[in-house]
Amino acid sequence: MNNRNLLKGLFLVAISLAFGLGSFRYPMGSFARAGPGLFPLLVSSLLLLVGAAVVVRALLSEPERMGFHVRNIALILTSLVGFALISEHLNMIAGILFMVFCAAVAGTDYSVVRNLKIAGVLIAVAFVFQRFLGLQLPLY
Amino acid sequence: MEILHNLAFGFEHALTLQNLMFCALGCVVGTLVGLLPGLGPLATISLLLPLTYSIPVGGALIMLAGIYYGAQYGDSVSAITMRIPHASSIVACIDGYQLTVKGKTGLALFTAGVSSFIGGTVAIIVLAALAPLLGEVALKFGPTEYCSLMVLGFVCVSFVTTGSLLSGLAMCLVGVLLGQIGTDVNSGMQRYTLGLPDLADGIGLVSIALGCFGIAEITKNLDSHEDRSPFKGKIHLIPTWAEFKRIIPSALRGSAVGSFLGILPGGGPVIAQFAAYAFDKKVSKYRDEIGTGAIEGVAGQAAADEAAARTSFIPLMSIGIPENAVMALMMAAFIIKGIQPGPNMIAGHPDLFWGLVASMWVGNCFLIILNVPMVRYWLSVFKIPYNVLFPAILFFICIGTYSVNNSLDDVLITAVFGLTGYAFSRLDLDPPPLILGFILGPMLEENFRRALLLSRGSFTIFVTRPISGTLFALIGIIIVWQIISFFLQSRRAAAAGQPPA
Repeated sequence: MNNRNLLKGLFLVAISLAFGLGSFRYPMGSFARAGPGLFPLLVSSLLLLVGAAVVVRALLSEPERMGFHVRNIALILTSLVGFALISEHLNMIAGILFMVFCAAVAGTDYSVVRNLKIAGVLIAVAFVFQRFLGLQLPLY
Repeated sequence: MEILHNLAFGFEHALTLQNLMFCALGCVVGTLVGLLPGLGPLATISLLLPLTYSIPVGGALIMLAGIYYGAQYGDSVSAITMRIPHASSIVACIDGYQLTVKGKTGLALFTAGVSSFIGGTVAIIVLAALAPLLGEVALKFGPTEYCSLMVLGFVCVSFVTTGSLLSGLAMCLVGVLLGQIGTDVNSGMQRYTLGLPDLADGIGLVSIALGCFGIAEITKNLDSHEDRSPFKGKIHLIPTWAEFKRIIPSALRGSAVGSFLGILPGGGPVIAQFAAYAFDKKVSKYRDEIGTGAIEGVAGQAAADEAAARTSFIPLMSIGIPENAVMALMMAAFIIKGIQPGPNMIAGHPDLFWGLVASMWVGNCFLIILNVPMVRYWLSVFKIPYNVLFPAILFFICIGTYSVNNSLDDVLITAVFGLTGYAFSRLDLDPPPLILGFILGPMLEENFRRALLLSRGSFTIFVTRPISGTLFALIGIIIVWQIISFFLQSRRAAAAGQPPA
């Protein structure tokens, strides 16, 4: 089932169905007086066609494997989400520290000292942004 | 003569101390971004969009434009010295890197710098002459023409950026659909907001762009684990007279090709480079040497690259339709500052238009200084290991998305699009058409609904109006040609697969 082109087609079909079926909840109107649901319906029907064409083409041609490394993307996303949540509930300095330490795991080698240095510089940069560019960062 | 007068007027605006500073800043950031992996011009411009809220309009546009064309310069430096293209200098990797192998890095860098300068200068003249003219034509455009022009833009961009019409078109359509999220302007009804108040104004452009380009790019780089060994060779910049003479004709050819391809829908630096390189390979006096480290192989493409980066402003500023993803972001920047790019912009804001054109030439001068005499210092940037770089880029992405609305929820939305963008890249779907679709989507809907209102619901209006009819005929030709070439290819593949009888 690991066929990149087939997955691509199915992915597109899924998006088109999500938007296309959703559009029926809004008034359609007529072509002369289009309602809010008409345009998304048209666009998602087109996308459905394109997605179907990709599926057909994938079935006709040789399957291609798709690589998906869960580890790195998961680490990066965790560090982003962690940054947002910690900054929201605690403060942004802790958020930055968490982000650097969590994201660095995805790097090729891990060094606590280096992470501390990076985080230190970034916190300093954040202070500069707050003081001199007027960004409202909840640093502490 | 009027052009000279207008340009003089533009230089008055571009040469104020403040605007000079913004221009220099844009060029420096652009060069840096071109050199470093992980942040292309698309991600950087969207990163800096929030910062432009607090700068004056002219300065903001000058700076963002500087980032765009500055990145083209920096990109060729990393392509020549280490064979790494980030944004677009794929072609510079061929002959430029071959020159490095021969120990002539300095010559290659000098050629790229000077040719880019020539290309930029030629393109600015084209821009100054053509944009006002095209603007007058565009005044005759109605909603029908705008619709067909946008659809043609989608088809061309899809075709050019991914090479596969289907994938590109799919991404444009996904972008248009994402643009539907939020409040419908005509009826005030909220669409696809899932009841979340955050989505009532639509998804933030910055979140989508940084997710799809920033986060996805970082993760892709981390996945590939590539080791970059910094360039350690010697650089001898000044060429001999014989070498210098070879640069000029090729650079001029490249400028012409680049200026022309930059204007077309879907055009831009990438396709211009390939075209200029192929053109030089056909007509140059030294065509046999191209591919093995010839000056022409660097000069032509560098000039085309830079020329196209500037002439691609023409459709945006004269018609009001961006032709590629970067220009779509520039349009977003114009709109944030309360200016609608289009036929009325040149007349309504001459200081902005001519100031921007003049600043491009000023930027050209900055860039040649930054990239030729000072190139050695830039190369030390490569000594920063990626392990240090990517947490810093992540930090800038967080701060960038946060500062649009001072909302940490936007960071979460960016994370969602980071995952989506990564999935796109694994599925071999290029995100630039998505950005174009996202930004043009609401405009397309608006014009589509208006056109149908005018024709009382009949679709024939799209083919009976002459300009729109021609554009749709073009779209038809491109699509039919794609289908035919697909069948020809698969037949050829089938024929090759069978053993000879």
